[in-house]
Amino acid sequence: MQWRRYAPTILDNLIWFILVGVFIFFVLGTDKFLTPFNIVNILSAAAVLGIVVVGQTFVLITGNFDLSQESTLGLAALVGLWIFVPAAAPYFGGGLGVPPLLSIVIILAMGVFIGAIIGALITYGRMNNFIVTLAMLLILRGLMLYFTKGNSVNAINYEGSDIFYWLGHETFTLPWLGNVPVAVPTMLLVFLIAHIVLTYRRFGRDIYAVGGNKTAAIASGIDADKRVRQVYMISGFLAALAGLVLAGRVASVQVNLGEGYIFTIFAAAVIGGVSLQGGRGKMLGVLGGVLLLSMIDRGLNLMRVEVFLQQVVQGLIILFAMFIDAQRVRYQAPVAEDQPEGDDSAPDAPATTGGGAAS
Amino acid sequence: MAEVSGGNVVEMANIYKTFPGVKALSDVSFDVRQGEIHALVGKNGAGKSTLMSILTGLYPPDSGTIKVRGEVIEHMSTHRSQEAGISIVAQHARFVPGLSVAENLFMGQMPTVQGGFVDWRLLRKDASERLERLGLDIDVRKRMEEMTVAERQLIEIARALFADASVIILDEPTAPLPKHEVAMLFDFVRRQREAGASFIYISHYLEEVFEIADRVTVLRNGAEVGARDVGDITQADLIHMISGENVERYVRPRRESVGDAVLEIKGLHRKRAYEDVNLILHSGEVVGLTGLEGSGPGELARGLYALEELGEGEVTLDGKPFHPSHPSHALEEGLAYLPRDRHGLGIVAIRSVSNNITMSVIGQITRWLGLIDGGREKGLVKGFIDKLGIKTPSPKTLVENLSGGNQQKVVVAKLAATEPKVLLLDEPTQGVDVQAKVEILRIVDQLTEDGVAVAIVSDELLELIDTCDRIVVFYRGQIAREFIKGTDEMTPARLLAAIEGGAGEAAHAVA
Repeated sequence: MQWRRYAPTILDNLIWFILVGVFIFFVLGTDKFLTPFNIVNILSAAAVLGIVVVGQTFVLITGNFDLSQESTLGLAALVGLWIFVPAAAPYFGGGLGVPPLLSIVIILAMGVFIGAIIGALITYGRMNNFIVTLAMLLILRGLMLYFTKGNSVNAINYEGSDIFYWLGHETFTLPWLGNVPVAVPTMLLVFLIAHIVLTYRRFGRDIYAVGGNKTAAIASGIDADKRVRQVYMISGFLAALAGLVLAGRVASVQVNLGEGYIFTIFAAAVIGGVSLQGGRGKMLGVLGGVLLLSMIDRGLNLMRVEVFLQQVVQGLIILFAMFIDAQRVRYQAPVAEDQPEGDDSAPDAPATTGGGAAS
Repeated sequence: MAEVSGGNVVEMANIYKTFPGVKALSDVSFDVRQGEIHALVGKNGAGKSTLMSILTGLYPPDSGTIKVRGEVIEHMSTHRSQEAGISIVAQHARFVPGLSVAENLFMGQMPTVQGGFVDWRLLRKDASERLERLGLDIDVRKRMEEMTVAERQLIEIARALFADASVIILDEPTAPLPKHEVAMLFDFVRRQREAGASFIYISHYLEEVFEIADRVTVLRNGAEVGARDVGDITQADLIHMISGENVERYVRPRRESVGDAVLEIKGLHRKRAYEDVNLILHSGEVVGLTGLEGSGPGELARGLYALEELGEGEVTLDGKPFHPSHPSHALEEGLAYLPRDRHGLGIVAIRSVSNNITMSVIGQITRWLGLIDGGREKGLVKGFIDKLGIKTPSPKTLVENLSGGNQQKVVVAKLAATEPKVLLLDEPTQGVDVQAKVEILRIVDQLTEDGVAVAIVSDELLELIDTCDRIVVFYRGQIAREFIKGTDEMTPARLLAAIEGGAGEAAHAVA
């Protein structure tokens, strides 16, 4: 039964084994994978995905879902654009011409606002988080379609466009890799801050407790509802930030910006070790999940796998992620509810000490 | 298949079982005769559940044989175990609460009429007739959630009997039951024994073992200490067998003086919970609150901790008005509560011992930028692990891997870390082994020395008498009587009379 003993540790760090394996597979399987251009491509894709997934991870740790992220991402970018473009612009019957930096602040504030609404509905309204965010997914996307009438909005040549798009567009030069988008270090910074907040601040401890056992968390004096509202605000904020990056990358806002993204977001989080039951998951693992999915996406393209087949692969990845999640729950459950204490000679840690309990 | 009455139905011989890093069972033998109630006792972690999991086919033993009615069963599985007539009734019975009793009884084997529709008439008739034959008078059309906890257990036992079970494992059946329902359960179990069924009875309540069991097997640290006829031993013998040492019960030394009033409750009233409650808790004293289930003490404790509505009335803590709207407010004001439901409200099982202990105070052990001061946290946690004798391989071990008694100590540590002025303990020793019980009560005493005012809500009368300076008895939501330590009034019989009959009846009993 050695497997049982090492299972939790392996399952917790599985992402890095897979990551290395898949990397080697693509390097050997294609001749263009290990090129600066390709690596930068993967990293830019990972930048947007990573920023959103961090927000989703906070929500998942509390045992909730945020399906609305992809729509928040699109709508925040669109609204930001609308207030940024001058009144003379041919969209929305003219924009507001707000300075670019202020527009950016408003975009991010909008993400927080959407998150606050969701959080309020779930906590004050006692509504199911899955349904609330599903409804939001539809409402926000619908609003976007309504405002744009289905057209994409492009705003590259106005005064301040370069500032507005800086986060998605600007690059800096690294040896070998060449021009790397600033979005990549931005994403890493987001992960770093998220990691610190999760591990070294009361907020992190609280949300793990809320996800692990909500009623016990409340009875321990944790304001669970407040924490839930906060994670949704973070989720909305980061979705909006990702929307800004994505808008900057393509220098426009398409009406389908972010559409269908939610599946990739969930897959990255779960493969990265976040449990959908709540209470488990670490940022480092999630970063691995983000890199893996971005790599697979790029690798399949290079191998000229047909687009439709790529969707099948994505589906399989999600199933695989769920499978891993199920195994994790299974093997992290206590082996037996009454293990001997062994009076003074404390037994070896029963298998799971390496689990999600790092302090 | 001819069964000789009194012959062995189940024989488990020389069972060994190892989990990663833990020897769960070594050389354990256990048998059950036909028509007997065989108690299986031991501390949390002694191996009872593991042994029963092996019998029900949940885990395979590493070695050893299992015989049912003389037949060796190789590769025991849950399916084979059921086929052999072995059934387990868990503490929290597994039912679909929204369905009727009849539907629950025949789940998976509903009688149907043509077209696959359920034959409701036959279902109800069948269900009530068969329950009647077992001596149960239950309206099978009622929904499961309308049944009391005891009724649910009776129904679950009945369900096992209908499925031709002849050996029924009762895992801590009385823990969630109020006292008068225990009698009902025991009565039923005895009748089924007369009809030939065998029971394996797992419990921490030793009085019950003597009340209901014919034989008792004791496990300690995964090894078998022995099997005895209950008539041949005393409770002290049994405690000795369980703990391996002579544990006296814990008697808290009497304090000569108590401190100032800390929590004062005047005319507190809450609909359908309690009325006109007047109670003062003093610094350094332990007050017992007892009464029948639902008569007020538990409701009062949960109300004071804002888990339930508190109601109207005057409550002051240290002279300041106290009306918390969230447990966090109660903790800030200095009132902490240990919940009765450890798994639901006490611990976060998938978090570490360390995280659980500092859960309520983590916001206070921070440095610049609100970052947690790891060194101080470690020191705090280590201090509590040592002081409370929490047995854990490491502070990072997940709480779900600890035994019940140690989990409870983690909860006590979490509360003590908040340095409360008032500590409310709701059934603090429930589901905890003898040794841990004593240790927990000792910690409570230490807290009172530091000036904490403690109230214990419990219906363990002997424990209350041994621990409390005063015992307040609730009857139908009101304080019926108060007993003071050191007077000869404070006896189990008088307490019981007050609990069951209120003040008037108690006066009768005394007269």
